[in-house]
Amino acid sequence: MTFALTLSSSDLLLLLPEILLTSWLCLILIVDFSFPQLPNEQLAYFNIAGLVATLGCLVWFDVNGITGTLFANMFALDRMALFFKMFIVGSTILVILASIDYIHRFKFFRGEYYFLVVMSALGMMFMASANDLLSVFVTLEFSTLGFYVLVAYLREDIASNEAGIKFFILGIFAAALLAYGISLVYGETGKLVFSDMTTVQATPGLVIGFLLIFAALGFKIGAVPFHSWIPDTYHGSPTPVTAFLSIAPKGAAFAILLRMFFVALATFKPIWTLLLVAVSILSMTYGNIVAIAQKNMKRLLAYSGIAQIGNVLIGLATGTKMGSDAMLFYLLTYLFANLGAFAVVIAVSEAIGSEEIDDYSGLGRRSPFLAFSMLIFLLSLAGVPPLAGFIGKLYIFIAAIKEGLYVLITVGLINIVISMYYYLIVVKKMYVNEPHDRSPLKVSGPIKAVVYVCLAGTLAIGVYPQPVTDWVVSAIMIFSNVADPTASLPIPPAVIPFGG
Amino acid sequence: MGDYALLYILFAPFVGAIALIFVSNRQTMLVRGIAAGSALVSLLASLYLFFTYDHVKAGFQFVQRFEWSRQLGISLHLGVDGIGTPLVLASSILLFAGIFVSWHIKDRMKEFYIWLLILAAATIGVFMSLDLFFLFFFYEMSVIPMYLLLGMWGSHTKKYNEMTDPEGLKQRDSVGFIFNFGSNSKEYAAMKLVLFLSAFAVAALMGILLIYKYSGLNTFDILVLREQAKLMNIPVLGTTLDKIIWILIFFGFASIAPLWPLHSWSPVGHAAAPAATSMLHAGVLMKLGHFSIIRVAFEILPETTRELMPIAAVLCMFSIVYGGFVAYYAKDTKYVIGYSSSSHMGYVFLGMAALDYISLTGAVMYMFAHAMATGMLFAMAGWVYDQTHTRDIPSLGGLANRMPFISGCFVIACMASIGVPGTVNFIAEVMIIVGSWNKYPLQVIVAVVGIVLTLAYLFKMMRGLFYGPMDQKYSHAHDAVSAADRLPLMIMIAVSIGFFFFPMHLYNVVRSGVDPLIAKITRVVPVAQTGEGSGVRREASATPRTSDAPLLANNPSPLTPYSSRGSE
Repeated sequence: MTFALTLSSSDLLLLLPEILLTSWLCLILIVDFSFPQLPNEQLAYFNIAGLVATLGCLVWFDVNGITGTLFANMFALDRMALFFKMFIVGSTILVILASIDYIHRFKFFRGEYYFLVVMSALGMMFMASANDLLSVFVTLEFSTLGFYVLVAYLREDIASNEAGIKFFILGIFAAALLAYGISLVYGETGKLVFSDMTTVQATPGLVIGFLLIFAALGFKIGAVPFHSWIPDTYHGSPTPVTAFLSIAPKGAAFAILLRMFFVALATFKPIWTLLLVAVSILSMTYGNIVAIAQKNMKRLLAYSGIAQIGNVLIGLATGTKMGSDAMLFYLLTYLFANLGAFAVVIAVSEAIGSEEIDDYSGLGRRSPFLAFSMLIFLLSLAGVPPLAGFIGKLYIFIAAIKEGLYVLITVGLINIVISMYYYLIVVKKMYVNEPHDRSPLKVSGPIKAVVYVCLAGTLAIGVYPQPVTDWVVSAIMIFSNVADPTASLPIPPAVIPFGG
Repeated sequence: MGDYALLYILFAPFVGAIALIFVSNRQTMLVRGIAAGSALVSLLASLYLFFTYDHVKAGFQFVQRFEWSRQLGISLHLGVDGIGTPLVLASSILLFAGIFVSWHIKDRMKEFYIWLLILAAATIGVFMSLDLFFLFFFYEMSVIPMYLLLGMWGSHTKKYNEMTDPEGLKQRDSVGFIFNFGSNSKEYAAMKLVLFLSAFAVAALMGILLIYKYSGLNTFDILVLREQAKLMNIPVLGTTLDKIIWILIFFGFASIAPLWPLHSWSPVGHAAAPAATSMLHAGVLMKLGHFSIIRVAFEILPETTRELMPIAAVLCMFSIVYGGFVAYYAKDTKYVIGYSSSSHMGYVFLGMAALDYISLTGAVMYMFAHAMATGMLFAMAGWVYDQTHTRDIPSLGGLANRMPFISGCFVIACMASIGVPGTVNFIAEVMIIVGSWNKYPLQVIVAVVGIVLTLAYLFKMMRGLFYGPMDQKYSHAHDAVSAADRLPLMIMIAVSIGFFFFPMHLYNVVRSGVDPLIAKITRVVPVAQTGEGSGVRREASATPRTSDAPLLANNPSPLTPYSSRGSE
């Protein structure tokens, strides 16, 4: 294999968002070191400016249909990659906004916090474009590197340190599995690029290799049985990091999973469907049942996140174009609902210094805004109309029933009812129980902005999903070769900017 | 107004709810005004809808259609037929009345009205949905406001064993007891209600998804599916697919109706709910079950309905007798009314099960009539509870001295609930009984026994509440004197009595919706004759309606192409 590294300027254009963000990253470090007295907020808004510029650049690419591949197919910039990059950058902006108040809890290295967040985002942007196994490995580790530090950022907090160590050890283990899997696959086939692997034969080495790769990616998305790091890490991390960790890496890992299963392994669809069905059923059921027993809001959201990932895997298990559309749609609804819920957790913990569900008692009286927002986000996660989560779940179920995955749908439907129970327990605490302390809560501006954006997203997608469905359908056009009866329907190439 | 009547009815409460978000709780009159105003818009539009519905033309009218999702084949397709129209009217009457019934709510009034409006709007949405997706969408949407209304403004009920006779273990609701863990809190009632209804709703959703898949039409539109979906004779799991779908749909929606033995959530939920919520809940929310079964199972799977509807005929007997007996032994006012509602819903199932023109028309009219009767009863039970802070019948008594107006209305409400001539319930009950007699004589006898039971437990409760000696601690209780307090009762009484004396429009409207449905299910080919159609229509005869044909055949609605009926 030879890499012809002859880059023209038009090729480099494809890397413009990443180049932009990399240079901004350096700028952040320089600014932070040169002006140590710079207030926190200004540094945060400086960061957001760079991210917004990147987002604008991505939207511009998407609108003008600028796509292509680089470095001998290692880096693919297609509509799907653009979708995930926007997803990642968008969630990063919201996470940074939500961190502005939280950051005073860090005694040192406040500037570096932003640097690490944006660095992880950069890694994940590369992940969304990773088109061969080598770049998968490199980008995955690049993005995780930032998280290793971020998770343990509360240095005095023992839980945060525990979370860091747990995440690090298991993360390194997953990386080793990934490397081993890649070496097996390369040894069997001699190929690294996904699109070259469509003709490979199923040999034991290849099967084991891909299983190991799937395990590593399963670790990243937190699907059962690779979930064991999730509850403790989510619990111990600084809450904005938890919010970040619960959304952006999942999106990036699903981009890789989509490329791996839909492109490289398209011919083995009957086999991996079974694998994904099993993982999905386990994730949904385990996540929802264990979530019932939780007393801490972050742990509850951690387990509910495991269950939500199970739902997304339904879409992957269908192996159709429609299933992948539904996945993207679901991830978007999950972004708004989950990030919104974490933003409320941050706001409450800023005000009362606790994340226990018991301390949410009477939130409806102390802060009607936060309680109402939490209600909307939790109901969206549970899948109640007219919120985005309901449409997302239905989209995925429709895609699955077209493929005849009845058992999976039945389990998914039963899980909706189970999940409703523990979400409603929180609602009960907030609205039915009386507060221990009636003083109203103060919510800061940036958090309010995050909550408003997430509320708008959750409600708008729920009430009128057409623009978003158009967007995800056109983003996944690269998989229209996957057998799917609905792919032949005339779908207008409408392009909707992020968040619309 | 005109063509957009449905949009006004559906969105006025939503707009009201959104407007309320921006109002402070301190501006009491403004909050009430916005809530009542939006309910009034909805009420006026549904009155317009009801009285301008063209029963000669029949079919789906006031149709609105907006594409909602191309990829999933969903459109916001609204329209009402003769079955939906009276139920829309009942919902908006009860919403308007409910706003006045909860006029004196102190705690978080704004939020209360927001959730009440959303609940009512979602209910109304089901009655006008012509798209399976939106039918489920609104159905599921109506469940969550119930949780908040019960949890935040509800009241705790007594312990389960104290609810009924302590000695009479046999009279206890043992089927309900299986799912009842002895808790008496409103949170428990609310959670039970939501989980129970959601669990069955997802069964119905599975049925809907199966219809979607096997019709292969990539649409949720009921009007398209009922004409083109070919779901019959597909073997699955030793039976046929249509039966599985029908069972999922029927029991999924029958849980909210509530059909025995799926009723266990309902009395607990009624008892815990605040008065206005109970009214909407028993008045219209329960009818979502019957309505959805009619709209989905009857329309899309007529042959299977004919085959499997006897299930409902068997279960409805248990509903009637069981609900009646438990209501007789219950000591809590709202338990009595709750069980009486679940008993009375058995009549509706009987009317539906007989698959007869008269009985189904009677069933739909009974839904409308029961909405008024049970709305009045719950409103007054709520009033008595607000005044005395107890719902325990044995400890109450003699309240007629303190509240003559309420006790007078209560007598009328009992009469309506029993179905005494003078109320529209009488007409509906007689139609159900007459219409079902040929097919299910045993059930009709049970239903008549159920009427006697109704008489027994309602009069027992009335005596316990309003007559006999009064405990002096209730001497501060006062009557409903202000116009705002009397208005809701007066409206419901006027509707209930008014439609007894002038039932023809209601009958014609309902009949125009029932006729094509029953014709499709029973495949009775109406003999095409001209003339005198409208004259014969005015009788409630038990024979199959042959003379309706000209009316329908001469005016085929573009939306309801029943061309196949002529050729059969």
